[in-house]
Amino acid sequence: MAATEVLGPRARERIGRLDRIWEERPGLVGWLTTVDHKRIGLLYFFTTLAFFGAGGVEALLMRTQLSSPDGHVLGPDRYDQVMTMHGVTMIFLFVIPMTTGAFGNYLVPLMLGARDMAFPRLNALSYWLFLGSGCLMYAGLFLNMGPDAGWFNYVPLALKRYDPGLNIDFYALGLIFNSISSTVAAANFVVTIFKLRAPGMSLNRMPLFVFAMLAVSLSLLIALPSLTVDLVFLELQRRLGFHFFDVGHGGSALLWQHLFWFFGHPEVYIIVLPAFGIATSIIPTFAKHRMIAFPLVALAELLVAFIGFGVWAHHMFATGIPTVTLVFFAAASMMVVIPSTIQIYAWTVTVMMGRPEFKAPLLFIGGFIAFFVVGGLSGIMFAAIPFDQATTDTYFVVAHFHFIIFGAAVFPILGGMYYWFPKVTGRLYHEPVAKASFWLTFAGTALTFFPMHIVGLLGMPRRVYTYQRGLGWDAYNLSETIGAFILTAGLLLIFGNLLWSRFRGPPAGPDPFFGGTLEWATSSPPPHYNFAVIPTVTSPYPNWDRADREEDARKLEAGELVLEEGHETPASTVRDGYLDEVLEMPSESWWPLTLGLLITVIFVMLLLAHFVIAGIFGALAVLALGGWHLQEPAEA
Amino acid sequence: MSEHALPRRTPRPRPVAHPNGWWGMALFLASETVLFGALLGTYWYLRFKAVHWPPLGTPEPKVVLPLILTAILVATSVPMQAALRAAREGRLGATRLALAVALAVQATYFGLQIHLFLDDLTKFSPGGHAYGSIYFTLLGAHHAHVAVGLLLDAWFLLRLSTGLTRYRLGGLWATTIFWHFVNALAVLVVLTQLSPAL
Repeated sequence: MAATEVLGPRARERIGRLDRIWEERPGLVGWLTTVDHKRIGLLYFFTTLAFFGAGGVEALLMRTQLSSPDGHVLGPDRYDQVMTMHGVTMIFLFVIPMTTGAFGNYLVPLMLGARDMAFPRLNALSYWLFLGSGCLMYAGLFLNMGPDAGWFNYVPLALKRYDPGLNIDFYALGLIFNSISSTVAAANFVVTIFKLRAPGMSLNRMPLFVFAMLAVSLSLLIALPSLTVDLVFLELQRRLGFHFFDVGHGGSALLWQHLFWFFGHPEVYIIVLPAFGIATSIIPTFAKHRMIAFPLVALAELLVAFIGFGVWAHHMFATGIPTVTLVFFAAASMMVVIPSTIQIYAWTVTVMMGRPEFKAPLLFIGGFIAFFVVGGLSGIMFAAIPFDQATTDTYFVVAHFHFIIFGAAVFPILGGMYYWFPKVTGRLYHEPVAKASFWLTFAGTALTFFPMHIVGLLGMPRRVYTYQRGLGWDAYNLSETIGAFILTAGLLLIFGNLLWSRFRGPPAGPDPFFGGTLEWATSSPPPHYNFAVIPTVTSPYPNWDRADREEDARKLEAGELVLEEGHETPASTVRDGYLDEVLEMPSESWWPLTLGLLITVIFVMLLLAHFVIAGIFGALAVLALGGWHLQEPAEA
Repeated sequence: MSEHALPRRTPRPRPVAHPNGWWGMALFLASETVLFGALLGTYWYLRFKAVHWPPLGTPEPKVVLPLILTAILVATSVPMQAALRAAREGRLGATRLALAVALAVQATYFGLQIHLFLDDLTKFSPGGHAYGSIYFTLLGAHHAHVAVGLLLDAWFLLRLSTGLTRYRLGGLWATTIFWHFVNALAVLVVLTQLSPAL
């Protein structure tokens, strides 16, 4: 949108009216009652960043312990808790809420040309539930009762007999709690993507980042219930004496693993798919070339998510399940190579076809592709059953999944932080420092995780809290620890750069990188209502269609598609994106926070086994839901 | 991915778009399908590993009464759909009547099922064997869904006393598909539950 001073009087009047309609209360109350997807995105961002810091400290504690043989920074009990919480934090409290909650919330409505998410209050609720679940699990750690059976929490180790404290109950209830938040967020994304696209944005013109978020959200909806059921079984067995997992009473220990990995493998793609989406946003901008094979990449993103549901037993190759099952899952795992390779070729060829400008965001994507190829290749090795059986539970596995989860998932997140920083703050980051921070992070990552392949092949088991001298692992472990500290320095440099630039960076303007998607078509930071005129879309890169965007300025003057009557956003048809109706959206509300608090109390009471009080708060939550729905949108 | 301009032709008249609430409910039910899939899958997984199912000393499940009850529950899809249709046509009285009929039948079903559930609890416990654990968990999950449906019905009966709005129509639509889902699942749950007696 052009700067306000060149607008005519009528346009300025319209913008003033939109400002008044969409403005939220100032100060703390405004943040507590907000339903603005951008503010909720920022709340998610800073909260997940805090959890990232906690997970990082846990990683450094472990690496310090393992830097030399017979380390004693942490005792075995503490080490188990720190290791488990590192995994739980990075997956459930950092990567997923960062990519869906922060990036997705902030960007999806902007990229779609919408003014908010489909369910703004539900969006706020998902944040408060996420915050509550994270705090609940960390309360366990601070009380020295943190989850301590690894992030996949295998039975029988996690049963009452071997783990009698509240540790596992913090894990189980915390994750059930967390999955409520993820489920409502995922449903919200899908409805937003299906219904709130700008007029003209048929599915084939939808940004690839949004395709990735669609794939992630559908995967979350389908995968999470399996984890929830598994955790409910575990709690029923631990608390009320049911029998699901003990063979002596007709249960099965493998049942836990089947249900867990039916969720757990799609989870891996849920972690990495948003990274693909970020890559497909950054590459066209800096290569100055549209993504080649656009429909294939979109389909590949959905296909990765789909195949992810057919490979779960490859986490169980060493459990003694029948060979025919193993072969099926090995073959399915090999299939993941196809959509992944389509995307790798599309990314690299797009860069080669364009005139790439290697600014920091694109460098991070380069690092991402490099790490993804290495992690992908070790992943293919695991699909070979004998190799998997030889290396399972060694550091080779740790190396593999850190290349994917840190190298392939977090690098695009870091690149995306630089890329969208000007949009969110209105200021530019410091480019030379950003480039330096990339090289530092890249070197640190490689030095931390590559030697893990070697110690893994040398036989070092994963999840050990210390190891003996003279096994030939010492030098590798020391270099991993040095790498971890270099990596930390790189991350601190990134956040230092962003913090400094937030206050001292030069003004960015609405579109500093000439991005192709709609978030660059509005001012930086975007106004509460996102777009003064709802943009009309005629291609997958609508911000490169200059004539269309100039038309927006004329429409603002004429008052077309401004929707200045109320808290409104347009809805379009699911497939073709024809303008369908105008929806009245809810505005700020105390109900999400109220309900979030009530549900938090329910889970705390369940943890303390005060079931009656939990029931009372359950009834209060039902009443709160009633109150939530008493306020109805105005009739058209 | 063509760069052709936006289609200029006027789109054909379309049926009324599904409201956001309908979409939200549909996606929630997709998720719920997996939840029940995991429960039913667990039942069969444990059963195929067991030598005796139910274990020796545990009574076989009843067949006739649960089947009749399920048939009655499934039949309430008809008044639910009738309520939705009447609401779409703006006939408030007919909507409330159909909804009240559905609620009465569903509440009776719920009461009888809870009675059976408690009766079963006196015969064998969920803490004795995996059979009891999954039996009561599966039924408990189903009954919890019926209870939620009852709350939704009661809520809309209450709200409709002050008239019909577009918002309430959307909610009623979502509630109707929720009941269709619960009723369809009731068939799978009851057939699984009584399968050892067949």
